[in-house]
Amino acid sequence: MNSLIRATSVIVLMVIVGFGWSRIGAARLRRRGVEEAAAAKQAGQEARKYSLIAAFLYMVAMVSVAGLFM
Amino acid sequence: MKIMIWMLMALTPAAAWSVYAFGLGALVRILTGIASAIAAEAIYQKVTGQKITVTDGSAAITGMLLGMAVSISTPVYAIAASAVFGIVAGKQLLGGLGKNLFNPAMFGRLFYLFVFPDSILPWRRPVDLVTTATPLEILRETGQTAGVPLLDMFLGRIPGALGEISTLALLIGFSLLVYKKFVRWRIPAAAFSVVLVLALIAGQNPLFHFFAGSLMLGACFMATDPMTSPRFPKGQIIFGAGVGLIIMSMRWWGWQTPGEYIFTEGTTFAVLAMNLFTPWLNRKFKPVKK
Repeated sequence: MNSLIRATSVIVLMVIVGFGWSRIGAARLRRRGVEEAAAAKQAGQEARKYSLIAAFLYMVAMVSVAGLFM
Repeated sequence: MKIMIWMLMALTPAAAWSVYAFGLGALVRILTGIASAIAAEAIYQKVTGQKITVTDGSAAITGMLLGMAVSISTPVYAIAASAVFGIVAGKQLLGGLGKNLFNPAMFGRLFYLFVFPDSILPWRRPVDLVTTATPLEILRETGQTAGVPLLDMFLGRIPGALGEISTLALLIGFSLLVYKKFVRWRIPAAAFSVVLVLALIAGQNPLFHFFAGSLMLGACFMATDPMTSPRFPKGQIIFGAGVGLIIMSMRWWGWQTPGEYIFTEGTTFAVLAMNLFTPWLNRKFKPVKK
């Protein structure tokens, strides 16, 4: 059960960061004058990268700081 | 494709030793890793309407590395889940081979350490499968490197992850890749140099640190992943030195705080952390055309 919660938590985090950044990033790019479709595509790619980095940092932090390893 | 076949061949001695040492259970775990990684890649590409590229062999290598980085105690469902996460999140999410930020095998291994933390235990000794401490656990508890015969560590007669225990088998495979010029040798060379210097500063036997844990497998086969490691020589040296520094820092932290600090090893964190710097190292050390 704990394993299921941990797996779900990292996937939920990735989804939140991914969707969040794709909206924020696209809005920022549009303000800079990038066309809407191009802004959405570029922000989507960035969002995937940031969601992976967030997952990496989250898992490392939880494994080490929270002592979940033992 | 050719490189991937040679990679698989280079990993075979260590995989074969693990089957000899731990029995058919080791083969089942390695094959589970390979099958899960291939299936995950094929299904993801089919669902997203991409060309299916599992025949390039990269998913098989990811699965094999992941299967070799777990213990004989690890349940197969944990290996399968980690291989799926490594392939889908670590590789396919950013567009597949060549576009990934992290080494997929290491990303899957981090997922495994996070989601199934207890399943890697207990460590078992080769052949008789008696539960016992690994050399790095002995180091963490006693602060000494003298407790384990170096020859046993070199040959692979110690408890540990399936593909990590035999330095000799890993070196045979790595030599093959160096001979064929398929590997970025500067990365492990820099990592081992840093480990050598830091071990000498700490007054410990550097050979113990070379042979123990996942340094050999991680530095020779995972850190050298051509997709997630720097392309240019100076970047490779910094990348490798960073890997060695992080690994030794985590080991040092372990033996300085016995009983408090939970880690004995940090190869997974070291390689993934340095993967983050690869795009910057590629930009910074790109040779200027004259």
